[in-house]
Amino acid sequence: MSVKIRFFARFRELLGSDIMTDAAAGTMFTSLITTVAKKNPEGYAAIFDENGAFHEFVILMKNGKRIEIADAATTPVVDGDEIAVFPPVAGG
Amino acid sequence: MISIQTDDVDIGTLIIAAKMHGTGAVVVFDGIVRDDEITEMELESYEDVATQELVKIATAATEQFRLLHVDIIHRIGRLAVGENILIIVVAAGHREEAYAGSRFIIEAIKAGVPIWKKELTKDGGRWVPGDHRHGKPKTP
Repeated sequence: MSVKIRFFARFRELLGSDIMTDAAAGTMFTSLITTVAKKNPEGYAAIFDENGAFHEFVILMKNGKRIEIADAATTPVVDGDEIAVFPPVAGG
Repeated sequence: MISIQTDDVDIGTLIIAAKMHGTGAVVVFDGIVRDDEITEMELESYEDVATQELVKIATAATEQFRLLHVDIIHRIGRLAVGENILIIVVAAGHREEAYAGSRFIIEAIKAGVPIWKKELTKDGGRWVPGDHRHGKPKTP
């Protein structure tokens, strides 16, 4: 199945944006982002701590809706999903 | 008008359009690229989500402060020092609602709308630290 991953701001600079990735059925949000982020150690360290958990400031979305970090490991992604990972917002 | 765009807008035209029957006050907030020893500022957004959030904020402000009109224009792209970043125009029957509504909107944008700023300098650039409250209200 195909899932679109969007990183923004510093995460985008380190990992790219609008990444189309193939994922096996049953893949969870956290495991998918972990796999993609590991392609760049600096990008991985920007998003995950030394224990492999999301930094508390990281914001997650699936199809435009917030996903709590605590729920990401048990949130499956499905074909056609757009998931987003970004640092705290700084508009205005 | 609720918009995320690269182009600037004519604030005078927005003020004229904001005046309608019952308007007693128009408040304009104009956020500007400050000269913090930077060359330019680069802004990016998660545009679909950010636009939806701006619409929600405008609707909430309109209901809470009985606003008669709201414009929110947030610019993205590369902006020079002195350029407009964010323009908020609100109209209300009285100044109290207009000031409060404008303040509500800017604070809500800073807390939860997915937009980011990078200050570009002669030596590179630095991302402006974001709000870690994840959209939750400030505690006193």
